[in-house]
This record gives sequence, C-alpha cells and structure tokens, in this order.
Amino acid sequence: MTQRISRRNVLRAASGALLALPLLPSLRGAARAQAATPPRRFVTMYTPNGVIHEDWWPSAVSSETDFQLSLSHQPLSAYKDRLLILGGVEMKVAADGEGGPHQRGIGGLFTNTQLGQGAFVDGCGRTAGWATGISIDQRIAGVIGAGSPVASLQLGVRATENDVQGRISYAAAGMPLPPLATPLDVYKSVFQDFLPPAVSPDEDAARALLTQRRSVLDAVASEFGALETRLSAQDRQTLDAHLTLIRDVERRLSIGIGDCQKPPQPVTLDPVSETDMPTIAELELDLLAVAFACDLTRVASFEISTALNRIRYPWVNSLGEGHTLSHVGSSDPDTRTQLVARQNWHASLIARLFDKLALISEGDGSVLDSTLLFWGNEVSMGTTHSHDNMPFVLAGGQWAFRTGRYVQYTGNPSHGDLLVSVLNAMGVPDTTFGDARFSSGPLPNLV
Amino acid sequence: MRLRNWGFSFVSLLALGALGCEPSTKPGVALMGHAGSAGSGGSAGASSMPQTCNAPSPGPAPLHPLTRFQYNNIVRDLLGDTTQPAQAFPPENEVDGYRTLAAANQANPLLVESYLTAAETVAASAAQSRLATVAPCEAGLDPARCGHDFVTSFGRRAFRRELTPAELGPLSALFDSGNTVSYAKGVELVIQTVLQSPQFLYRVDSLKAPTAESGAVALGGYELAGRLAFALWGSAPDGALMDAAAQGRLVTAADVDREARRLLEDPRAHDIVRDFSEQWLELSRLDGAVRVGTSLDVNVLNAALRQSLTSYLDTSYFGGHGSFQQLFTDPSVWLDATLAPIFGGAAPPVDGFAAQTLPEPRFGLLTQPALLTILSHSDQTAPVIRGVFVRERFLCQDVPPPPPNLNPVPPKVDTTATTRERFRQHTEQAACSGCHQLIDGVGFGFERYDQLGRYRATENGLDVDESGEVLATGEVGLDGPFAGAGELAARIANSPMARDCLAKNWYTYTFGRQVAPEDTCSLAQLQKRFTDSGGDLKELLVALTQTDSFLYRPAMTGSP
Repeated sequence: MTQRISRRNVLRAASGALLALPLLPSLRGAARAQAATPPRRFVTMYTPNGVIHEDWWPSAVSSETDFQLSLSHQPLSAYKDRLLILGGVEMKVAADGEGGPHQRGIGGLFTNTQLGQGAFVDGCGRTAGWATGISIDQRIAGVIGAGSPVASLQLGVRATENDVQGRISYAAAGMPLPPLATPLDVYKSVFQDFLPPAVSPDEDAARALLTQRRSVLDAVASEFGALETRLSAQDRQTLDAHLTLIRDVERRLSIGIGDCQKPPQPVTLDPVSETDMPTIAELELDLLAVAFACDLTRVASFEISTALNRIRYPWVNSLGEGHTLSHVGSSDPDTRTQLVARQNWHASLIARLFDKLALISEGDGSVLDSTLLFWGNEVSMGTTHSHDNMPFVLAGGQWAFRTGRYVQYTGNPSHGDLLVSVLNAMGVPDTTFGDARFSSGPLPNLV
Repeated sequence: MRLRNWGFSFVSLLALGALGCEPSTKPGVALMGHAGSAGSGGSAGASSMPQTCNAPSPGPAPLHPLTRFQYNNIVRDLLGDTTQPAQAFPPENEVDGYRTLAAANQANPLLVESYLTAAETVAASAAQSRLATVAPCEAGLDPARCGHDFVTSFGRRAFRRELTPAELGPLSALFDSGNTVSYAKGVELVIQTVLQSPQFLYRVDSLKAPTAESGAVALGGYELAGRLAFALWGSAPDGALMDAAAQGRLVTAADVDREARRLLEDPRAHDIVRDFSEQWLELSRLDGAVRVGTSLDVNVLNAALRQSLTSYLDTSYFGGHGSFQQLFTDPSVWLDATLAPIFGGAAPPVDGFAAQTLPEPRFGLLTQPALLTILSHSDQTAPVIRGVFVRERFLCQDVPPPPPNLNPVPPKVDTTATTRERFRQHTEQAACSGCHQLIDGVGFGFERYDQLGRYRATENGLDVDESGEVLATGEVGLDGPFAGAGELAARIANSPMARDCLAKNWYTYTFGRQVAPEDTCSLAQLQKRFTDSGGDLKELLVALTQTDSFLYRPAMTGSP
C-alpha cells in the first residue's frame, strides 16, 4: 500500500507525482478538521443489471474470514479486510408491487419501499411511479449531514434515464433527487456556485456578495408570499416545497466552503458518451474524496448508469449492451467475460475512492477509516431478475462492523434489516426502515 | 414509451385475447388505458368518462414548472440571452418520453440551486452587456424612474400579466437598494429576483377570483396569451399578445384562433415542432448511441442524423403540403456531406442539409435513418422494438408486457442467418407467439433497413424478407398482411387511429399531463378538427388552442 500522506504534506504531494490529481484540501482546512473529531461518511453505490454469481461470491471459503475474493472483486484485494460480503440477503420489498423487477429493485434498494402507481414504463411494458419513502442516504444525511455545507451529494455516471429506473436517492416518498451528471457539474455545485471567494478572493467583496444574495432571496420569498395567497391548496403545497428548498440554499450560502482549497476545475465531459464514461466516474469520485476530506459533505450516492440500460463498456472490451448481456448471463463464455469485466471495473472504482481517502490522514488514521460504502444492485442476476441472494457488499465502517468477512445468511433475511444495520452504524438509532413488513431490526452477525 | 389510447375499442381487447396475448397483470388497465400521472396514478374505465361534451369540460390546470426549453427561450426573448443557461439544469423527469408533465416534476435541491446560478449569470450578463436594450434609460432621465418602469415592464413580460402591488413592492425596493451602487446593479438584482420567482418559473393559469366560481371558467386574456405562447413557441408572449390581452382583444375562441395563426408564422413555431418531435420520437435515445457499421465519430453521426430528421419533420409541418399523410409517405431524406455517402445519396449541393430522393426506397417518417437507428440494437436491428414503437407511438396502443418468467433477450448475431430467422422463435414458441405476432409482424416490415437505417436488400448474402402482418388493431384498414415498410407506411398514413394518435401525443405534450377522463371532450374536439382539416399539421396546432382544455379551466374550490 502506498505510504500515507499526512495532511501537512498534502500540498507538497500534490505538486509531485504521488497523487495524479491535485484534488486536496489546503493546510488550513486540514488543520481545522484535524482538531475536531472526525465525522463519519457514507456512500451508497449502485450498479445495474445483477451479477454473475459464479464470479461474484468468494471461493475457497473455509470460514467467514478465510476465503478468496472472486474475480469480480479482485480490484478490492488491498481492502479485503475492510469488506463485508453479504450472501443470502433477500430484497423482499421488491418481490411484488407496482412495476417490473428492475423498477421495483432500484426503487426499493435504498428505500425499502415499494413503488407507487404511475406511468413510468420499463422495457417490458410494466408501469410504476416513484419509490414511496426516503432513501437511506437521505435519512443519514438528515442526521449527520447538517454540520456540512452540502447535506449530501448525488453523483451519476451516465444515469440518463429520467424516471424511476434512473433514480436511487429520495428526499421523501415520491421525491427523487436527480444526480449530477459530470465532474464539472459536481465541481460547480460543491466548489464554485456557493463559494464567495470563487467570485472574489477579497473577503469584503465576498461578504457583500453574500449580503446581496440574501436580499435577493428575501425578495424572492416575498414574491412567493404574494402569489401563494391566490393559489389553490395543492398549488400552494408545490410552492411551499420549493420555498423550503430556497431556504436550504440560503442556509448553505452562509456556510460556504470555509478554508478548503478549491481544486482545479475539471474538464468538460459528455455525460452520454461511452468514451467519457470511465473518466466521468473517476473524476466524480476524486471530487467526492476532496469533499469528504474538507468536510464539505458527509453523504453521497453514486449511481453507475441505470436499470435496464443498453450501455456498452468499451474500455473493458465489453461491446454488448448491458441489459442484453445480463439476460444471457453465464451460459455464454464471452458474455460472462464481459459481465465480469464490468463488475471488475465497478470494484476498481471503489478501490480508487478508497485509495484517495486512505492517503489523507485524519486523527490517528485516514479519512477512509471514517467511511462506509454500501454497494448494491437492483436485481440479483439478469437471467432471472430475482431479488434473493442479492449481491450486497459493505466496504469500510470498521468502527461498527466486523469487516474482512464473507457472511452467508440462511433463511433469506430481508435487506430492510441490513439497511437498519447501516443506519445504526452511521449513528442513526432507528429500529426499522422503510416498509415495516420487510424491516424488523438490524441484521444479525454484523457488529 | 407508452401512450394509452382511450379510443382503444373493446373489440380489440377481445381480439387480442383471442390471439392469446393478454395482459398478465392488471387486466383492463394495460389495454383499456391508465390515467395515472407519475407518482399518483390511478386508472379509470369507460364508466367514469363524461357522458356528453355539451358544456365546456376542461382538464385540470395546476402549476406547471417551465421546461429547460421554455426557460432558454424566455431569457432569449426577454433579455437577449442566447447562452441556453437551462442546459445546466437537471433534466426533467420523463413520462412516456415527455418532459412537460407537471405531475412528475416537482422542485428538487439541484434544480433550485441551478435556478439561482442561472439567475445570477443571466442577470449579470444582461446588466453588464445589454443594459441599453434590456433596461434603457436615456441620459437626463432619473435612474430611479427608469428602474421602476423597468420593474413594471420587465415584470409584466416575465410574469405574463400585470403585477399586483404586493409583487411590485419587493422588486422596486430591491432596485432602489441596488441603485445606490449603480443603475445597472439595480437592474441586475431585479432580474435575479424575477428569474427565481414562482410567477416566472411556473405557468400559472388558476388564480383565485374575488368571487366564488363553479363549473368551467373561461380564461382571461393574459392566461390565454400565456397558453398561446407556450403552446406554439415554447416561450413567453410577445408584446403584441400582451397588448391584445390588455386591450380586450383576446377573449373569444376566434381571437385565440387569429393569434394562433399569427404565432405559427413566426420562426419560433418551428422550435415547438422540434421540441415536441424530440419527445414524441424519443430522440434523446440517439445521445451516445453507438451502432456498428461505420467508423464515423458517434457524436458527429448522431448529430447529423438528428438534424436530418428534424429537417424532415420541419418540412412536413411547414413546407407547403403539411399533411399527416405526407408525414408518413414523403420519400425524401435530408442529407449532408456526412450522411450522403452512408445512405447512397448524391453529394449535397450546398453546405448543410438538402432533401434528396434516394435510389433505394424510402417511405416517410417510418424509414427516416435517425428513427431506424434509435429503434435498433448496437449490432443488429430490433424488430421487436420497432414493432412495439409503431404500436405504441403511432397507433397509441398498449402492448402487454411479457410474462414475468420469460427471459426476453435478442438472439445473438449470427452471420449465417437473417435477423428474421433468428427472431423467429418468438412466434414459434407458444408462450411468446400470442403477443409477438402482434409485435414482430409489424417490426419485420422494416428488415430492409439495418441498425444505421441503411437500405439492405440482402443480409449475410440472404434475401431479406420484408413482408409483415398487422393484427388485431381494431381498425380494418390497418389489419392484414403487407409487403414491406412502404405498404405499412401507406396504411398508417391513411389510418384514423394513427391520426388520432398523433393528436393525442400533441395533447399530452401541450397540456403536460397524461390523458385522463377529464380530457375526453377536449381530445375529441382536437381529433375531430384534425380529421376535418384533412390531416393538416398546422391546423392540428391551431386546433390545440380551440379545445376546452385550452380556453377554460375548472373552477377553483374553496372560499374566494
């Protein structure tokens, strides 16, 4: 493993070759963060279309701790001791209800709720609406995100399906959160739009700008008030929700990004291009690492493409369309190779993020030591579209979980229980989450 | 992709059942229609439809957030800003490919943040670079006076009506505070505020009246002006429309008809046809789509394909004949220097796109290269996708989903067989054949056009069989075997069902909701006018403005 950089050496390292991208906090920011207790960080990560089980689950399993990582997880071998590979968990919430299996799966994955009625059509003509509850990242952000300027970040990589199959984060029932589509969007949202010093390094000018924005938003609020008195109750509700979001923005303006050093602006990339796709994923995670290190945010969702996509991965020699490949599955050797290559790439992204986080020291360890990532999928395998034995992986979170294990559950415990375990690990003491029919407490044998 | 057809007759339901293709779940919903909007949903059968359409019967008129298309157009028309700032907004949620559906698009944090950023950028640019045109103030005039005039005039254009004192007050005060720095700063702050105000960001058609209402309420001049401009330009009303509203010249259906015809003569009407068509035909599926068979850069190719189709559609609406029939039968294809070699066209005479009649057969919209590309897999054609698309998009029919235990996947490419032969198992296996004969029978008709939309008489050295069969549509003129895409196109071009379907698609796009029982009368009015015009496409756009849903809104309940 690479030698860890102390925060004091971060700037020197940035100018050298140790880190490819100089996306690092400033010394001042580091010093400030170092003084405080490290915050916990949480990431949900979604990848689509199920997995090839033969190449997903560990092999040579002698015990929970004695096993070999599968081909799919090879890129994570440096972090094997931080993984919890969870076999046998069933996503019961997705077994039936509105919509097709991909829709039900992606809607239920991080919410543990079924879909509402609606008119979003899946590839097979089934219809559904949005998920009917808050997602776990937003529940966690509501508890631990308040102390950071950006309560949570939604990152998307070619997640261009603008309906239920393209959304993993929900602020509430029926309220999906769209992901940022490119590194530049992430950069602008986190480091530019809300950073007075980006407009002017002069602190007086920054303060003046802040004052001006406030007076504009106050006037905007007055306009809301003037209109609302003349609207129906339903329309008023629409505007109330909008105005609340404006107030959130205003609050955020008053925090700014503190003394975190702004990273360089990323290049412009095409959010729908298969050529740019891997770079988009990598740079978004790099920016997330900086946002975590600077404590600009503590919660993120990371979405690779969408359920039922028709996307190729040419950079790993997978020239088939994702959903089609998943339907063929392991019966065809070439297809199997392509699908494993895709999972390999997904795993390598986690490794890349962890590499960055591990290099930034914090307290007695690194930022990675305070990070938990939950990697999920909307179906178990493409050939069956089933939701049992889901390919779930927890990475990090050693403060709460006994990691470095492959836990094979029997009796098909509900993934709603796993979500409770995750919540508890992140300091949220809830005993159920989402649909209580499928969530009755934490999953055993994790802590 | 899916639009449900209220006119889908009970006869065809029985016919599908007889063929062994029945919805596996929710019987009655999948075939008879599903009125639910995203997130709320609900279905309604024939029993809940209004019995008569004698009295005005408009659909609901809730707040509609501006789409990115509309936002860009408005800042262009009002402030001369051509930077398309809304392209940086999160995309609208789509239902049936449509981005205009209010029920699926509430505000979210990213959107609100984007509104703020765009407002600051647009306002700064207008105040710094175009102050003299945006908010002129001649030398010698009192800047405070100019500023307050600007608040009134710009506010009126941006809010699409006169502002109330409660709305003017905060804007004028903000101008005054900015004016202590400079006149330009005052103007900038006003623009920033207006662009984040709900009166600007939402289309508001229902405001409480001083007295209680009941039944259907005729819209006022400003509401009609707004509806006209949004429906036919995707933008805010121009000065002439606002004046007509103010002076009481926008009251009757005839007034609206007159203004609609004027608006359709404006170049902006072409933009609305493009925006509608992109959603109707799901052209966003071209973005990043890769098809084997060419070494051209994918972005260059797809941009050219999109422009080719856009030009074709534009000509169909505005090029003279402008009929539904022509839309589905015109043999021309628009090609530029990029596309001409691929499709065997002559070198275009000028820089840019020109319509050509190719040596090999083309039959209107169905055989436009961009559409055929969208309706393909990356490495082969997609007869199933093509068949479903025709049924759903052009006939407004629902195709029931496959049974849940099936594993739908296109067969692997095989260089010793034709696509048709490889897909044949669909219609040979009993479990699949019931539905797939409805789908594939249509889709096979396109087999002479490959995944790039190129013509092919043979595939892998084998003759391509382009015969097909339309089954169980419920319309006699559509059903029966056909000899290829040309014959299919001719049937669609003459089909009342297909004509009604296009009208229904425009209705959904324009009114921003899925067709529900409340829309029955308005939709029938639209379809009848379109039919009576002989399928004139411009008349279809005028007819949108003559429906109950356009001219009226339901009464607001509750105390005034």
